[in-house]
Amino acid sequence: MANDSTAAVRTAGVWKIFRQEAEEVQAVRGVDLTVARGEFTALAGPSGSGKTTLLNLIGGLTRPTRGQVWVAGRDVSGMTSQELARLRLAQVGFVFQAYNLLPVLTALENAEFPMLLQGVDAAERHARVRELFARTGMDGLEDRRPGKLSGGQQQRVAVVRAVASRPALVLADEPTANLDSAASEALLDVMAELNRDLGVTFVFATHDGRVMERARRLVRMVDGAIDSDERRA
Amino acid sequence: MQKMHARVLVVLAMRNLRRHLRRTVLTASAMIVGGALLVFTFAIGDGGHEQWIDSGVRLGNGHVTVERPEYRVSRRIDDRLAADVRRAAEQALAAPEVAPHVVATSAKLSINGLASSSAGARPAQIVAVDPVAETGFGMVDDQIVEGRYLEPDDRLAAYVGAELVDSLELRLGSRFVVQAQDTEREIAGQLLRVVGIFRSGVPAVDQMTIHIPLTTAGDWLGSQNDVTNVGVVLDGSAATALVRGHLERALADPVTRGDARVMGWREADPALAAAIAIDDFGAYLTNGFLFVIIGFGIVNTVLMSVMHRRREFGVLQALGLTPGQTGAIVLVEGLTLSAASGLLGVALGLAGTWYFFGAGLDMSAVMEDIGDMTFSGAVIDPVIVPLFATRRLLQIVTFILCIGAVASIYPALRAARVDVTEAMKFDR
Repeated sequence: MANDSTAAVRTAGVWKIFRQEAEEVQAVRGVDLTVARGEFTALAGPSGSGKTTLLNLIGGLTRPTRGQVWVAGRDVSGMTSQELARLRLAQVGFVFQAYNLLPVLTALENAEFPMLLQGVDAAERHARVRELFARTGMDGLEDRRPGKLSGGQQQRVAVVRAVASRPALVLADEPTANLDSAASEALLDVMAELNRDLGVTFVFATHDGRVMERARRLVRMVDGAIDSDERRA
Repeated sequence: MQKMHARVLVVLAMRNLRRHLRRTVLTASAMIVGGALLVFTFAIGDGGHEQWIDSGVRLGNGHVTVERPEYRVSRRIDDRLAADVRRAAEQALAAPEVAPHVVATSAKLSINGLASSSAGARPAQIVAVDPVAETGFGMVDDQIVEGRYLEPDDRLAAYVGAELVDSLELRLGSRFVVQAQDTEREIAGQLLRVVGIFRSGVPAVDQMTIHIPLTTAGDWLGSQNDVTNVGVVLDGSAATALVRGHLERALADPVTRGDARVMGWREADPALAAAIAIDDFGAYLTNGFLFVIIGFGIVNTVLMSVMHRRREFGVLQALGLTPGQTGAIVLVEGLTLSAASGLLGVALGLAGTWYFFGAGLDMSAVMEDIGDMTFSGAVIDPVIVPLFATRRLLQIVTFILCIGAVASIYPALRAARVDVTEAMKFDR
């Protein structure tokens, strides 16, 4: 299957099968999906529908059993662990349900971490993070460790961390699941603004109605397969 | 980029050690105590060994000895050192590169013979010496039981082992006869008078040894001023290789011709060398077990830390660290912990052992029922003065680092092999 180099993500006939003892679980079943650059897409579905597994396949955190996945024009299906790590570092930002900030680093250091690994110089790192902190209402909290931040604040640091290194796409797995309504709305505002102003491609895995409402494309999954794909103006 | 990675990994490792302070302190404590014990036991052990060596070489032929190759087995007067070889050896020992290490030199004519009195005859080891040189070489002052040591003007004087004195029923001032083969291969006799009685603590020495002046032996045996060996006592056994090498170079021609052989104390006294090697092996084994236990403690602590931080390692890999770099964080943590606590342990061990430098560690309370402890021609002094050697400290530090590295490898592998998606599953 040909690769569409203009797409942020493309999957072709992707399967992911887990074996649990004697049982075979088909988590993702033959998914074909293309996400263009700059999209704000939500993968929705009930628990066990395969949305998180698909997100992990796209992010190179797990390998497909069958089929192919391209990220920013590169086929990730046959990559080694080292190649996948380099791809994630350069092209993919992650936002997790549990925030997953590094507890020994401050908010600023957490946000800068991928750029540190990329070798971006200090001045550039600080400038990018401070600008994003200002956009996300995190001004003044740069030196706090994650334990001293609220859930909403931690998730905003996670979003800044995912975006600041300027990846081809940001994968967000249930980013609002642990936040109250106000914090969720604020976070979605931030991500929508970053998508609109900076052109960051977002792909969410969610079953949060608020996220689905804000998404400009809603892909519904059922039993590991795409059930519907709805684009909105 | 790689340099940046390394810096980031080190920063993360350091902060994690600080974050889990109690766990870090507990692990570090084991390493500190282990390191201190290692320094103490080896300093005391090495100090004890040095005393054994010193005792052995002073009763024997020195840290380094020059003699004819055949002499070690034959012990015959025929196997004397040529005068020019003796001169060359003594000149070489005065060279500036080795002279500072030379404490005493003694040229001796040492042969087997027979000592007789009215009470009977006993085999004897007759050692003809320059009295002045031998006073600095041996442990004369510590061993005299009665009378005095030989003096330069003595002619028929003998300094005799206490047990030989007893078996020949002699006493101070008694006369007795010694017989040995002379340079003409005839049996020659010599009348001697006991001027001093000594007890070395080594039965073989006390039962057989008779010191006489070298001039007496020269006249009696026709050997003039010839000797069978030139022995050197050094300021420490560590200088043996240096002095031996220097003498071998200086005596290259006679050594090549087969007229001389230069030996260190290990070759000259293989039983003493073996005893020290066995004792060292015991110390290595004991300390090895101690550190295996400490190593398991480190494995356990670091592994627990890894298990608790699975999510963190998953996040790091999701953010772009390779499995190898993730493992490296754990390895850096383990190595840093081992290095810092190990060095602190070594410092504490040095400080603790320093206390015993002055008076030494007195073990006489545990040795008092044993009496004189000897083996391999060496007397064991119950007061042990610790010895610190740079080489030993480097060995200890290297050993601690290796234990730290080995103990961190398995946890590092576990961290590297973490399943990213499993590690980051939300705890519901």
